[in-house]
Amino acid sequence: MSQSRKARLACLTFSHLALVLVWRAHPELKQEPVLVGSQGPGGRQVVMAASAPAWAQGVRPGQDWRRAEVLCPLGARLSADPTALTELRRSARLALAACSPLVEWGDDASAYVDLAGNDPLRPQEGLRAAQCGRAIEEALGVTPSVGVGPSRFSAWVAAQRADPGRVRLVPEGKAAEFLANWPVTELPIPPQVAERLVQFGLHTCGDCASITMAELQRQFGPDGILLHRLCRGQDSAGVDPWREELPCGVRRVLAGGVDDSESLRFGAAELARGLAQELSRQGQAAGRIRLLLHGEDETRHSTQADRQLWWGEVAPPAPMATADELMGPLLSLFSKARLLAPVTVVELEAFDLVAPPVNQIGLWQGRAADREVIKRAVDRLHDRFGTGLVWRVEVRPGHPGDVPEERLVWSSR
Amino acid sequence: MSVKPAGQERRAKPRAGALESALSALSHRYGEGAVRAGAPPPLQGLATGVSALDGLTGCQGLPRSRISRLLGKPSSGALDLGLALAAKASQSESVALVDFTLEMDPGAVEAYGGELDNFWLVRPRSSEEGWAAARALAKAGVGLCLLVADDWSGLTPGAAPAALLAALSEGAGAGLVLGGGRIPAALKERICLELECWHLDWSWAHGDICGLRTEVQVSRSHLGAPGASCQLQLNFPRPYPLRIGLQESVAIGDEELAAEPLPQAAGSRR
Repeated sequence: MSQSRKARLACLTFSHLALVLVWRAHPELKQEPVLVGSQGPGGRQVVMAASAPAWAQGVRPGQDWRRAEVLCPLGARLSADPTALTELRRSARLALAACSPLVEWGDDASAYVDLAGNDPLRPQEGLRAAQCGRAIEEALGVTPSVGVGPSRFSAWVAAQRADPGRVRLVPEGKAAEFLANWPVTELPIPPQVAERLVQFGLHTCGDCASITMAELQRQFGPDGILLHRLCRGQDSAGVDPWREELPCGVRRVLAGGVDDSESLRFGAAELARGLAQELSRQGQAAGRIRLLLHGEDETRHSTQADRQLWWGEVAPPAPMATADELMGPLLSLFSKARLLAPVTVVELEAFDLVAPPVNQIGLWQGRAADREVIKRAVDRLHDRFGTGLVWRVEVRPGHPGDVPEERLVWSSR
Repeated sequence: MSVKPAGQERRAKPRAGALESALSALSHRYGEGAVRAGAPPPLQGLATGVSALDGLTGCQGLPRSRISRLLGKPSSGALDLGLALAAKASQSESVALVDFTLEMDPGAVEAYGGELDNFWLVRPRSSEEGWAAARALAKAGVGLCLLVADDWSGLTPGAAPAALLAALSEGAGAGLVLGGGRIPAALKERICLELECWHLDWSWAHGDICGLRTEVQVSRSHLGAPGASCQLQLNFPRPYPLRIGLQESVAIGDEELAAEPLPQAAGSRR
């Protein structure tokens, strides 16, 4: 796909959120070596974040906890509260989302913001990047480093080279020049590729940028193409925007207890329609739905959890946005439901909300054709017969007269 | 009296239930839907917003994928009814108005409560341009394609109505022809439904005409028997100052006064 606009990305690097939480609870540890652990794959404990003094002693995120203890025996060893971490992450994301609609959250220590949009209040990208930095500073209480470049990698390198609280800009068309001195061992490429580059005597991005893509590809395969793009600042320029998940669900109270799953299934269509309406209102699609059936007897069960008779989840391969798409998974959930007592309340909740897929609606019914199809037809008519054949009109504000040419605003495109 | 050979008589009388059993066997072998009855699918209608009018047409509104015609003498209310129908349709679907007269005021659609966002006005410089635009927009999926002309004679190229009908079938929109004069045969034979408006009387408010009562009658229909009619109160959209005690007038199409099915034929009324 051709890229019609100049990409400008801001990369913000800051202390890991887990460290921020530790420092909030223990301000005296700000200058001390700190290790924050978490459960890694397979249940073993790994390092989630390490402070700069611990980093200097060789501790890295993802490292085995025992090895980190050996490397940094005097470091404070703590664990982060997952709930507080989630809340802090959300507040930081929201702060950035106020600066730009396209925000990609990284590994809790970095974020990317698309600056290519127009902001009439801050026309200069440096000011917009500084605004993002201030937003993070206010949300987290730590000062980020900000880099702005035409691609993700160049922006990240700029952020690495910027001091905390400063913005470093990579000028347009100067990305390769800016990256020329960056060592190849610090590139996001497999270590064996970096090792072979050093063996070839190619130590910096500038050395690799002088080699053609075909030659690099011949040596390193797909990694060669990536290497060529990274060294020239031509890697991916887009962000994978984060969207806040708003609570989305429908709740229906049944008149009298229903203890027949067949009867409940009759209400599935109404539930699916309600949830589809809610999803449409939010402009999202559900990757996963959960069905909860609540019981009738509230005196016998004291807590809400006790009153939940049954619940089940399903995550189909494709996100669901319409009632028709929701009906199938919902019916499968109803068929699995085991009722121990009459059901009084049915709840359907949506999770893993994503942008709705582009659907071809009304394949056999042309009246569902959207306005874009008509616009294209009008464009073809104008190409064929010239402008002035098909008109759009809108009422001119203020009602200046009774003549249509005065009262209405006419446009043929 | 003719005598048939015995074998021929046996062939002419199939065994009772043989067809049903054959159909059952085919359905069992090849699945449901392998053999279907030859009846066409029911025609869908574009709702007019007036239940009495919807009931006249036989398909609950203006027939989709077909061309209808609204005709009547001057001041019969045909043009106002057409604009009101366009306004009603534009509230939910796209509407194209092909204005061969070059004099239509698109603001009237907005005054009747329509959505100008869904409204496309075509002002053709020749009849070929107008028919081509109607065809292209109908094919693109407009819900209602309204064609207005002062006099249709001389405006219709031979194959244009058939092409428009094909485009309407593809886009599933309704076509509506408005205007007087002699309708060419090429267009007349493609028209599925003709609604004729008859002026009954004017409505007055503090000395001004604020609307009219009209009778809409099915004068020709491929969807059912002609002759059914209903009476409509058409209130002009311009806001009139009302005297105390008078009921506030409403926009055309929002309210119907009466719906009286009249059995007699169209030509015998006046």
